[in-house]
Amino acid sequence: MDHRRRVYDDILELLPSEENPSPMVRLRKMSPEPETFPLFAKLEWMNPFGSVKDRAASFLLRDLEERGELSPEDGAESDEPRRGIVEPTSGNTGISLAAMASARGYPMLAVVPNKVPLEKKVLLKIAGAELEVVNDELCPSPGMGDGSINLAKTYAKAQRARYVMPNQYENEANVRAHLETTGPEIWRQTDGEVTHVFLSLGTCGTVTGLARYLKERKPEVRIFAVQPTEGHDVPGLRNVRQLEVSKLFDPSLIDEILEIDHELAYTRALELCRTEGLLAGPSSGLIYEGARRVVERGGTGLGVLLFPDNVFKYTSNLVKHIPALAEGTEPPS
Amino acid sequence: MSDYAHPEVLVSTDWVAEHLADPSVRIVEIDVDTQAYAAGHIPGAAGFNWETQLQDGVRRDILSRTDFERLMGEAGITPEHTVVVYGDNNNWFAAYGFWLMKLYGHQDVRLMNGGRVKWLGEDDKELTPDLPEVTPTTYRATGEHPELRARLRDVLAIVDGDANQGSQDSHNLVDVRSPDEFTGKVIAPPGMSETAQRAGHIPGAKNVPWSTAVAPDGTFKSADELRQIYVEGQGVDPARPTVAYCRIGERSSHTWFVLKYLLGLADVRNYDGSWTEYGSVIGVPIER
Repeated sequence: MDHRRRVYDDILELLPSEENPSPMVRLRKMSPEPETFPLFAKLEWMNPFGSVKDRAASFLLRDLEERGELSPEDGAESDEPRRGIVEPTSGNTGISLAAMASARGYPMLAVVPNKVPLEKKVLLKIAGAELEVVNDELCPSPGMGDGSINLAKTYAKAQRARYVMPNQYENEANVRAHLETTGPEIWRQTDGEVTHVFLSLGTCGTVTGLARYLKERKPEVRIFAVQPTEGHDVPGLRNVRQLEVSKLFDPSLIDEILEIDHELAYTRALELCRTEGLLAGPSSGLIYEGARRVVERGGTGLGVLLFPDNVFKYTSNLVKHIPALAEGTEPPS
Repeated sequence: MSDYAHPEVLVSTDWVAEHLADPSVRIVEIDVDTQAYAAGHIPGAAGFNWETQLQDGVRRDILSRTDFERLMGEAGITPEHTVVVYGDNNNWFAAYGFWLMKLYGHQDVRLMNGGRVKWLGEDDKELTPDLPEVTPTTYRATGEHPELRARLRDVLAIVDGDANQGSQDSHNLVDVRSPDEFTGKVIAPPGMSETAQRAGHIPGAKNVPWSTAVAPDGTFKSADELRQIYVEGQGVDPARPTVAYCRIGERSSHTWFVLKYLLGLADVRNYDGSWTEYGSVIGVPIER
């Protein structure tokens, strides 16, 4: 692999690392205090399969292979169906896992909540996963385990010969991915000058790994997590009440959690697209809003915003929340 | 530390594991749909689909006696069997199944404490996708128990009776929905297809959301804690008859179970029509 010329032998060589970090772009018009508190968006959609989840997915699969739970293609001999993976996913992890599993020869079953946009469901199939869709919110009750997580666990428990569950919500390999890639990248890319990191919470692998790495080197780095308000449909994010399913959540590493009206996820994402040329997804919109509020409080610093993915998979969701986007999409009658 | 009024109707996951091969026991999983059952269930368990198998196919009503007998018989159950029910969503639909079986007089029904999720989380418990081998039998219901069920006319009689008396204390009316549904802020939780024409609650009802009765792992709280919540906390008077309701009648069967079997209240009925019925009836009083 040659990062200088950008020539690779296979797609997996493009996975992010300190030597091949995801790019950071300075915010301009949307930066409240560009001189004294510059903000940089770290564009995770530039990873090979389109999101921050590429990191966790590669570490999770490697971990399963190292533990002998999965065997790479070259070792397969028997006629038995190959053992594969089952995982509850809102889409991004599934897409990353599916693409990597296909490359390595494992079957994959993705268990997906129904509220995930159609684009993501279809992409999972395109990437090679089989899909099982769950009506997660039939009779909603805060504090209950997600239907998709329980169903995936059921498959892994009831059909062990066929499935193993990487378990992004509980597997430390998820955290290690960020401890060994995201954290070191940010440190190097900012020459150690980062003071504030802004991100969202889902499985909490990113925040836990990244925060551990950065705070060890610079205890005064402050970590801000954004949460959508209850009743949100921003895929991948969990609001305060839903976080107990994320065993990786370590509140001691987070300096502040900002709860933000979930509608802003969409309007801010649109603004990022149109004003900064950053075609960012809704979770990025929420993160931007959190950063904006913190910068407006005053003070100086250097902020890094972790933008998990871009807007391409969310057009139907954006239209749902910003109906004006659908105007003019038909010829005049 | 006092005991449940009827501790024998609650069994632990360990008890179920020990009785998997017991020929006098039949295990039934009851979920809103059979997706989870198909992926994996307790070995030997039959699966009942709440939506398609426990409801009348045409009218809004519970299963008829004949259909109930056929359902049980096809699952290889006789009236002499000990039936253990469990399910997802903290046993909501399993509790409804329990109530239904009691309506039709099944003698020995028990609920597995903690439901599907508890079994799933225990490393020593097995799950299987394999369907059980069943020898169908003939099931004859031993009797019907309408006194366990409240109909609209019963609820209206309570409301009218109370209005005539000028008080609201002839009965305990327990509304187990969320506070937002109870106060009328929303008619139903967002995204629900079954709703009502109006929001609010039945006059005189007390709001004790169903989940107050369970611990985070889905098992029921202790008898003392439950008494503290319902009796001391919300003024549910054990000396008065009680009617529990929710939106469509399955969360309320969970509370019906708590009040009748765990706290031992003498006269408890499940109003399965619940708010989707009451909240759409013309001319009935509503409180917010």
